[in-house]
Amino acid sequence: MRQLISRGEYRDALDRAKEIHKSTRTPASEALLVDAYVERIRALIGRGLIVEAKALVELVRDRHPSSRRRLDGLATPAAADRRSLDDLVRPLADPALRVDHRAAIERMVQRDVWDLAALASCEALPAGHGLRTGAAALHRAFVAVTSGPVADEALELPEVSRRSPLAPWKLLARAIAHFHSGNREACEQFLQAIDPESAPARLVPPLRAMLAGEPAAPLPPHRAGAVGAPGLSPAAAALRAAITRKPALVRELEALDRAFASRSRSGILKLIRSAVEECRRESPARLEALKQHISVRCAIADLDANRVIAAIGGRSRHDATFNRLFARALEETRDPERLVLACAMWDEFRRTSAQEGWFADNSPESAAVSLHIAGLLEQLPESALRELQQSGRRNARVSGRDISFLFPDDLYRRACVLDPHPEAFSRWMAWAVRQPGRHADSVAKTWHKIRPQDVEPILHLMDEAEARRAFGDALRYLTKVERIDSLRPDVQRRRLRFLAGSVIDDLRKKRPAQAADAVARLAGLPEAQQGDWPAVVAALRTAVSVVRGDADAMAACRAEVEALLQGHATAAMLLSAVATAAKQRAPLGRVEDLSSDERASLPRALTRVAMLAGELRLALELPRSWMVEVARQFPATREALEVDELRALAQWAGQAGNVQLAYVATVEGLARGGESEAGFLYLRAQALTGSPERRIVCARAAAELARDRQDTELVEQALAIARGPFGSELFSLTFDQARDVLRQEKAASAPPGQRTPEPDYGHLIPRCQCADCRRTRGEPVEPFDDFGIEGEDDVGLELPPDMPPQMVEALLDAAAEAARRGESFDSFASRVLGGRSPGRRRQARRKKRTQR
Amino acid sequence: MIDPTEILGVSAEATDEEIRAAYLLKVRECPPDRAPEQFERVRDAYDMLRDPRRRRRHRVLAADAVSPLAAIFGGQTPSRRFVGPGPWLEVLKGK
Repeated sequence: MRQLISRGEYRDALDRAKEIHKSTRTPASEALLVDAYVERIRALIGRGLIVEAKALVELVRDRHPSSRRRLDGLATPAAADRRSLDDLVRPLADPALRVDHRAAIERMVQRDVWDLAALASCEALPAGHGLRTGAAALHRAFVAVTSGPVADEALELPEVSRRSPLAPWKLLARAIAHFHSGNREACEQFLQAIDPESAPARLVPPLRAMLAGEPAAPLPPHRAGAVGAPGLSPAAAALRAAITRKPALVRELEALDRAFASRSRSGILKLIRSAVEECRRESPARLEALKQHISVRCAIADLDANRVIAAIGGRSRHDATFNRLFARALEETRDPERLVLACAMWDEFRRTSAQEGWFADNSPESAAVSLHIAGLLEQLPESALRELQQSGRRNARVSGRDISFLFPDDLYRRACVLDPHPEAFSRWMAWAVRQPGRHADSVAKTWHKIRPQDVEPILHLMDEAEARRAFGDALRYLTKVERIDSLRPDVQRRRLRFLAGSVIDDLRKKRPAQAADAVARLAGLPEAQQGDWPAVVAALRTAVSVVRGDADAMAACRAEVEALLQGHATAAMLLSAVATAAKQRAPLGRVEDLSSDERASLPRALTRVAMLAGELRLALELPRSWMVEVARQFPATREALEVDELRALAQWAGQAGNVQLAYVATVEGLARGGESEAGFLYLRAQALTGSPERRIVCARAAAELARDRQDTELVEQALAIARGPFGSELFSLTFDQARDVLRQEKAASAPPGQRTPEPDYGHLIPRCQCADCRRTRGEPVEPFDDFGIEGEDDVGLELPPDMPPQMVEALLDAAAEAARRGESFDSFASRVLGGRSPGRRRQARRKKRTQR
Repeated sequence: MIDPTEILGVSAEATDEEIRAAYLLKVRECPPDRAPEQFERVRDAYDMLRDPRRRRRHRVLAADAVSPLAAIFGGQTPSRRFVGPGPWLEVLKGK
């Protein structure tokens, strides 16, 4: 057979090889057969019979897969020249072409044709042939996806069916589109679907290499292995470099960013010069913007302004854009001093914007700037702001400069007038509520005047009227609220309270007729017929009878109260509370005179009246003997009380100063568990007046637990106790620590002062490190530890002995504020007291002593 | 904060209709099930731009003084550049 081949008799050689392989079926016979095929194919290629050669190649590849590597070396790129492409596809124009022959040609098209444009214009096929129209559509899509973003619709390509030999191109176009849009996973999906034997598969390795080279979201584990390609061809490597190469300006700016981030100043001016130069070349339209950004960042980094100006090639334009950028950069530092500068820059921005025509000075945009400045000022410590305002006023007298940007009230007023929106008013109000005096009232009045349909200011004015016992005004505001929002849940209860308050006010002023009228109005309300309110109405009538001196009516009313409350003691306590509020005498009588049943029910009776008094905002005072009896009876009745009743009892007892009763009420409340635990822990903190450390820890823990339940009101109440009178945050607790405190407090059933040990929270509270405290704890104290510590006369502020206590308190507050914003003690003392700082005074005194 | 107009690809003066159209287009590009983070950014940007007050406040007060300069000035340049069909065809041709 080898001889036949050497003589050029390939067909005979092939026939012999087929016979041998048919009879033996060994790997050697198959290798011999493939050799014969290869020579036959070479002969066909040599005679220019490319189509026949390719068809034979496909046949051999299919029948003898082990031959593929050898055959790959034979295949001529079909589109390498036009002639071979024409020869390849010409038979497809023949409708009578055998099916297997057509399939073989289509396989070759799929595997070898890379030039879609050539296929689209191939004249060997008729113009409307599916292969040509498909190739044309794919060529357009390919050019589009490699040149810019493309909508999904453009890649639907209905001209190319899934069975078409060009189908892998469709997948490739979609993979490229997703690659550019950053949808890594979709890109990989399409890459995986591409037939590895097709021409488009040649682009899979570089695409995967580019996907793998990016720090994007990782692919799912089942696909991770598919990513990455070892050793790209030179063309693929060039493609990757061309796609992923960053423009020179971006590279320069990245280097500059790194320099700013590292805070390294060496070479930064050189980097600035390079970046500016590159921007001048690459993107001159953005040069001014870049100079402004660099100027601002250099200012924030405290670089020498003149050298920066030289590096960027002249001062950047200080227009509204610059002012806004600088203001924003200053506020982003969160530094209090820079916040003030930011406010000034925002004000400057407002001015320059108006000059440059961005927006008018009386526009809503201008209002937005004022509101923003006010918000920034609120981040400053109060004392620092007051100081600034004072020095600003002094300077303004000389310079004549408008310094309204330092005054939140002016800013809020301006914003609300220019753009009267509830959000602006609400922020103004929130700020005003925190100010001393009755500033919030005037803000609420302004708000109500400008936006009469907003409920929030009316509610504030209503509460304020109630606080000064102007119940007529409060009722008028209530009517307004009702008119605007008739569905508010608290309106009816407030009406009851205001009317009751109005009755009591008339009684105080000895106006029984008006009081009786108000009682009648109150009694006519449907809500006054519910719960214990009929008893309240009867108690008010009793008080009216007292003022009128009508003993019969008084006795009848008292009897009515007792009947309604079904208890002499309960009625007595309610009548006493009402009478005390109306400035009448109302002795409760001796507790010993109560029957044993009534004494046993005292805790529940007290709870009931305490809840009513709380709703009416009346003070409920009991004689000591009554309180002792309530405490004595509590253990027997505590289990019958509901959680709300226990809470009311603990609250009342805490306010009345009966900490023992308050404590035992919290013991029962905490034992109930559930959602009320945080509230009872707070009440426990209130009751612990004699254990300051435990009180603070309980309050802190209550705040943490309440925070977990998003009960902001309780968080604020508990933090008010935890911070103490100086408002200082001594320490914080984690949620787990708070749970642990709760557990220990639940176990501590005996009030403090009894012989049982109290929970020890020493590990939760930072210990004082002054020499005295360390000595007390038995810790070692170094000889020099007594110098330069708190509490030493020589170190602290030297206050005049006749300084009023209020001023001392104010000074301490200011010192605490200064410490919070990081000011040193020496600097504070020097600033507040003037002259030399205590440190210098110490040095001077030592020097004097030495001289002596 | 990234400019919401940039996220949606609209101009600062875009009308409500243009903003809505851009939003819908972006949602189709980054559906919540396939690209949740991108979708969230798109939705936040739309929430800001659909409210005229927030849009105005953003237009007046927004300035990026924190992002890297390369991101601000190179933001227009995608990290994958479009190079046209030429280099891609070279790979296909090279086999």
